[in-house]
Amino acid sequence: MIILDIKNLTLEIESNGVLIKALDKVSLTIQENEIRALVGESGSGKSLIVRAISGALPPQWIVTADRLTWRGQNLVKMTRAQRQAIMRRDIAVIFQDPMAALDPSAKLKDQMLESVPSEFIEGRYSWQRYASRLSISHKILHKVGIQNIEACINKYPHELSADICQKFMIAMALVSQPTLLIADDPTRGMETNTKKQILALFTRLNKTRNLSILFVSHDLLAISAMAHSMTVLYCGQTVESGKMKAMRRRPLHPYTKALMDSAPSFSPDLKPKSMLVALDGTIPTLQHLPIGCRLGPRCPRAAKECVQMPIERSINQHTYRCHYPMHVESV
Amino acid sequence: MITTLIRYFNLTFLTLLILVMLSFGLAYFFPGDPLTNLLGTDILPSQPILMLTSQQTNIFMQFWYYVQALLAGEWGVSFATGKPLYQDIMRLLPATLELSVYAVTVALLFGIPLGFLAGMNYHKKIDNIFMSSSMIMYSFPVFWLALLLILLISLQAQWLPMSGRLSLLFNVPHYSGFILVDILVSDIENKRFAFNNALQHLILPTLSVAFIAFAVFLRTTRRAVADVYQAQYIKSAQTRGLPATTIFFRHVLRNALLPVLPILAVQISTLVTNVMIVETIFSWPGIGDWLIQAIYERDYPAIRTGMLLVSVVVVIITMSLECISQLIDPTRDRFAYARR
Repeated sequence: MIILDIKNLTLEIESNGVLIKALDKVSLTIQENEIRALVGESGSGKSLIVRAISGALPPQWIVTADRLTWRGQNLVKMTRAQRQAIMRRDIAVIFQDPMAALDPSAKLKDQMLESVPSEFIEGRYSWQRYASRLSISHKILHKVGIQNIEACINKYPHELSADICQKFMIAMALVSQPTLLIADDPTRGMETNTKKQILALFTRLNKTRNLSILFVSHDLLAISAMAHSMTVLYCGQTVESGKMKAMRRRPLHPYTKALMDSAPSFSPDLKPKSMLVALDGTIPTLQHLPIGCRLGPRCPRAAKECVQMPIERSINQHTYRCHYPMHVESV
Repeated sequence: MITTLIRYFNLTFLTLLILVMLSFGLAYFFPGDPLTNLLGTDILPSQPILMLTSQQTNIFMQFWYYVQALLAGEWGVSFATGKPLYQDIMRLLPATLELSVYAVTVALLFGIPLGFLAGMNYHKKIDNIFMSSSMIMYSFPVFWLALLLILLISLQAQWLPMSGRLSLLFNVPHYSGFILVDILVSDIENKRFAFNNALQHLILPTLSVAFIAFAVFLRTTRRAVADVYQAQYIKSAQTRGLPATTIFFRHVLRNALLPVLPILAVQISTLVTNVMIVETIFSWPGIGDWLIQAIYERDYPAIRTGMLLVSVVVVIITMSLECISQLIDPTRDRFAYARR
């Protein structure tokens, strides 16, 4: 069953009187109990998608979508209270920059305790409820792998290193036992061991608690290890999405191919001293977006039609937007 | 914490030292005999002042005796009245402080809540109304505003008295110098009437000083609140599904108020300047009125001492506010030093 369904999400930002489409017809679905990876270069709008889903966008940015639904309920037209209730219990978000996402003037303890949903708290009197909150927090903090909880919890965010703050963010997100976890680059800046630990925790929660995860990252290795399906984003356009395996074996879109090739550990048959493959040029800035398929100027297979936006086509739940896809014959 | 205290103490001490040096130097820049300018008289009452004038000292020793005399309360004698300056100033300073305190209180009481209101409705109608009106208020010259208030409210409408602190009918014994406190403490007849009368006298000067301060506080608070609401951590608190009231009281309030306090400290000097102007216009018997009179009369000892004292008060208040804001703000010294 599809829990989060996004169809043609467009985000427009006004800059100097011109509307710029920072996200252009993004489509994304998350099935129940699925880990979906959202991949793209920095600046491709991954975080914008996360913020559009969670409603954390500045009010002057214009969000339009054919569908942006949570279990069939329209998130865009929902009242504030309804949306807040969903965010409180069902969707949890881990933002990219933990230092900015934590209140700088409040101790981590206070921020942690207030994220514990009141349904989980036992006891009648305030001190019992406080103790209950504290013990729940301790459990979850222990789970995400914070060693000296007592020392860390009484500190302000700026007194701790970024990866501990990130762990606190993860703990705050997981404490409400959500159905969907949106993790925006949750392991950034962590050392490999900790990273593995966090990813293992996510996988375990996915298996035992049926947690669905939207995993936003650049880390192709981690993604391929844990994700079931993947959506590739380029410059605010979804270029391809499908099952992880199918996409690894036969990427249909030239950009996906380039992305896979850019990670050497991803192609096992890479010969020693061979050239590393990369697309020419850089990702365009928001002020100079090409029309049509935004990969156009950098695409090795581009032709005249590519100035028209390709429609979304789909083969065996493997959707892509390209006029000249690769590997189509063999699918 | 102790380092912060020591740092601010050092800073205050050095600033005060420089102020005292300037005031000492002032006596040499005024026309006439420096020692007469310094003391205002030839009759020498006390030991440090005696040493100050003796022929054997050099200028450094003179400065040292001058500091001693200042600390002992021997501030010299006014040219104009021939009375010791210490008594004059101690009588006048509370009146000025009283006016400033009330003005700041009024400005804070209205400026900060309305600033919150404007900041929470950022770029909406109510915010625009507040912004444009506060811009107008901010642009008012204080002397013109005071004259306008006198013209409209005192002369045309005759609602409020136009000058002084208290009607001459009442004779309140001097106790603390703060008129409202004095009336409450004293046991005169018609205490209530005296109190009401003092309040009526206070309204216009307080309003004219508070007017500009209010605009400043409103704008600062509004900016801080709007910034906090834009911040990522508020968004992230919202996505955690916290109720709006919790977010406001736990996260917005503190983060928005923290940057307001240093601004308050900066505003103190402007405020004192405005108070001095308003005192002159309303004939409020405070140090500003007195100082401007002294300037008219070329009363050099009075000018020197008055300026020194006003600047000392401003420096001490500013520094303590800065120090307090540094102490209560857990984020402020985040980038001040390398991690210890």
